Amino acid sequence: MSGIGMVLNIATTALNAQQYGMGVTAQNIANVNTEGYSRQNPVLVAKQPLMYGGLLLGRGVDTEQVTRSSDQFIENKLMQEKSNMSSSSEMEKYMQVLEGFFNEDSGTSISTMLSDFWNGWYDISNNPSGPSERTSLYEQSVLLSEQFNALRTDLTQIDTDLTGAVTSGIETINKITHEIAQVNGQIVSMEANNVANDLRDKRNTLVSELNEYLDVQAFEQSDGSLTVVAARGCTLVHGNSDYELEMGGTNGDRVRWQNSSGSYVDITNYLTNGKLGGWLDMRDEIIAKNKLDLDALAKEFIWSVNQQHSQGVGLEGFNSVTGSFVVSDAGEELGTIDSGLDFYDKVADGAFKLWVYDSTGAVVGGSATSITIDADAGGTTLTDLRDDISTTDANITASITTDGKLKIDTINGYTFAFSDDTSNVLAALGVNTFFTGSSAGSMGVNDIIGLNKNNIAAAQVYNNVGPAVAAGGNSSTGTIITDGPYTGTADATYEIQISAVGPVGTAEFRWRKDGGAWSAATATTGTSQLIENGVSVTFVPGTYILNDTFSIEATENASFYGNFASGNNNNALDITDLQSTSMSISQWTCDRINGNIEGSVNSNIEDYYHSMVGTIGIVSASVSRDRSFGEMMVNELSTIRDSISAVSLDEEMTNLIKFQHAYAAAAKLIGISDEMLTTLLELK
Amino acid sequence: MRVANKAIYDSVKYNLGSISEELNKANEIATTGKRINTLSDDPVGLTQSLNIRSALSSIDQMGRNISYGNSWLTASESALTNVQNIISDTKALCVQMASGTTGADQRASAAETVQNMLEEIVSLANTDVAGNYIFSGSKTDTIPFEQNGTYHGDNDPFTIKISKNSTVEVGSDGQAMFGNIFSTLSNLKTALENNDVSGIQNAMDNLDGHFDDISAKISDVGSKMNRMEIKDKIYQDLNFSNTERLSKIEDADIAEAIMNVSAAELTYQAALASSSKVMKLTLVDYLE
Repeated sequence: MSGIGMVLNIATTALNAQQYGMGVTAQNIANVNTEGYSRQNPVLVAKQPLMYGGLLLGRGVDTEQVTRSSDQFIENKLMQEKSNMSSSSEMEKYMQVLEGFFNEDSGTSISTMLSDFWNGWYDISNNPSGPSERTSLYEQSVLLSEQFNALRTDLTQIDTDLTGAVTSGIETINKITHEIAQVNGQIVSMEANNVANDLRDKRNTLVSELNEYLDVQAFEQSDGSLTVVAARGCTLVHGNSDYELEMGGTNGDRVRWQNSSGSYVDITNYLTNGKLGGWLDMRDEIIAKNKLDLDALAKEFIWSVNQQHSQGVGLEGFNSVTGSFVVSDAGEELGTIDSGLDFYDKVADGAFKLWVYDSTGAVVGGSATSITIDADAGGTTLTDLRDDISTTDANITASITTDGKLKIDTINGYTFAFSDDTSNVLAALGVNTFFTGSSAGSMGVNDIIGLNKNNIAAAQVYNNVGPAVAAGGNSSTGTIITDGPYTGTADATYEIQISAVGPVGTAEFRWRKDGGAWSAATATTGTSQLIENGVSVTFVPGTYILNDTFSIEATENASFYGNFASGNNNNALDITDLQSTSMSISQWTCDRINGNIEGSVNSNIEDYYHSMVGTIGIVSASVSRDRSFGEMMVNELSTIRDSISAVSLDEEMTNLIKFQHAYAAAAKLIGISDEMLTTLLELK
Repeated sequence: MRVANKAIYDSVKYNLGSISEELNKANEIATTGKRINTLSDDPVGLTQSLNIRSALSSIDQMGRNISYGNSWLTASESALTNVQNIISDTKALCVQMASGTTGADQRASAAETVQNMLEEIVSLANTDVAGNYIFSGSKTDTIPFEQNGTYHGDNDPFTIKISKNSTVEVGSDGQAMFGNIFSTLSNLKTALENNDVSGIQNAMDNLDGHFDDISAKISDVGSKMNRMEIKDKIYQDLNFSNTERLSKIEDADIAEAIMNVSAAELTYQAALASSSKVMKLTLVDYLE
């Protein structure tokens, strides 16, 4: 009897096992499209046999466990690649936006506008008195400034958007780590007796999602829980606890992690992968560099145009002019940072000429006044400059506005103009300048130009005494200021040679005209010293070295001295020279770990901008390549992962048939056992 | 290798994605006719094309400068040629008037003619181009000469730029150009009025000098015009070669672009066809 009962028992275990197998197959089929699902396999083992009739006989089948087909190494590799890919794919999106800003096909291309700007100056040089040329240059310059402003605003906007993306990214991260902690708890309690396959899949999926946001390391503990650690060893999940990231710092744009002692660790610069890594790379490296470079370009552009513009004169002299740059402390030297001037570092030892005209247009005093600037500590302050200008003539007064700008006014129909500024102080104060501002965001066209286009300085005041040009190899630290008018009857070259070394007062000099005989040595006084024919020199404080020479070109025709004719285009021509002038322009390297490092390149304005646009293209192309490489890697690894873990319906259908047939056979066993029992019971 | 259903769908998705991206790119090039549609398409080429564009814009501007300068030089040449004719007419008149057979009355009436000629030269010396006086130095808004020959311009001739680093004086210092002619003519007029034969002969000598001076000035203007013409020709060539370079960098080879579209299209169709077949295959269909 017990023999048939045994067959029945074995058949029952078989029915159970095949049914279980069917159940696992059903679960697999149901999850054919579930992301991160690993297919499961029932592991069937033969039950422990028993001695029966002196022989060992099996007791049927048992489903020992259900395993999942998964390779953690491939899973980890896949997560890593996904993390890389999400970084470059986020960057690619933002690079496309950035490319759009610098798009050259649009009508608002800065490179076209720059060309138009220089061409505008050429047009003025062709027709200096033409009002339409002046208006057209003004309009072009306003457009150009606005385009610089807009571009800078756009860059700041991307910056803000990126910080917003990081903020919402962190919310998602905190949500995910919280869930991982919960799943950890469930796994630990469930795995006391079984392997929690589905929960592990779920946890894997969560870690993979987390990896899309930032790069993390995950370690499994012996109890089956997963510890998740982010950059700089910041633990995000341990056991069933999670630790949140948050935005903080002065501007609220830093990613921070709070450690157990409650202090914050700033991990912003160490997040290199995942969406967060991409966003932060974009914000703190690419956008940061472009913002700084654009500002550097605008600054150099503004400066070079202003510096040349301030040497010139418009169609009429000024009645009143106010500088555009603010001095925060009028008692500080203009050449030092304490003055608060944006362009304080450009102020040099030197002088400028102030021409004052009476109401009939005659030069007051017969010559220009040289106003000297000492850029060093203890040198000229705004207050000094104000006083120097005011003492020129009773009809001209300089003052300092409440907001710290230099203002010059005249009375009785007097006017004034400037020339030969070797100190750069006029451009630094924004007096007689073209642009205002000192960065891409603050750039604008000076109001004095906007209100009266005649103030566009296309001309230069006719000064028939040139500056004292130091010979090559000179090592004197002092400079010489010249004054006129030269009244000689032919063009002449004067040479000044230092004949006794020392500071002003001790140093002596001699001079000669057109290579003639040297004069007797004269002591330097520091005040204006007449040479001959109206040419006079002033030695500015500094040390003068023996045998250093300076030469002064003088032109005949004292009758035009101080004139500026409407057809004079000298300054406009000098400004057009700037188009091809190579200047040293800052170029930044922005690295999140090493910080922003300022370098410089020698380039003209347009080439700098062109290479900036080119660089954006290069970066964008390389980001796109990274993205497409990452995509390919993810695809490859996914195929490998799927070949191990994903469900194949064909396989499951085969299994279904396999289990179905086994089930049918087991049922047959029961039927036959039944027949056997019936046969036995029917024995009479 | 085991192929899971998900793997099939994912790979179809990925491959169709990449091929359609390719097709889209090929189509963009063919429809815009441009190789470079975004900065990243060819950053190096883009930088070159920006530089060329800026050069082209400068070349255009130089062309405008030259044509503007030419209008001044042409006006100068024509004024100077007329002045030269007047001088030679005056010289002929002098020869006649210096003759012993000429009477005082005839000389007095010739003085009138000389006065007219003087006025004619003053008006030629006051020639303007679109309101700008060309013989006024840089005081182009000021009429350079009064009827009595007083000069109101300056000695700084109007200058234009014809390349980055070369300038051409297209205007002139009128005083240097005409000053002595006015005094010669007015002396001649006085001599005629006073029946002063030696004065007339003196004027004849001076007129010879003026004729030579003006001739030299005319040839100077001519050589400047010639220089500008050569420069203009160079700019035209540069314009042509730069435009060609720009087109090589920026423009797509249309035949190649169309071919690429067709090739991408073919690949896409093949991928669609095979994908649709593969995706349909399943054992389920064969089980009862």
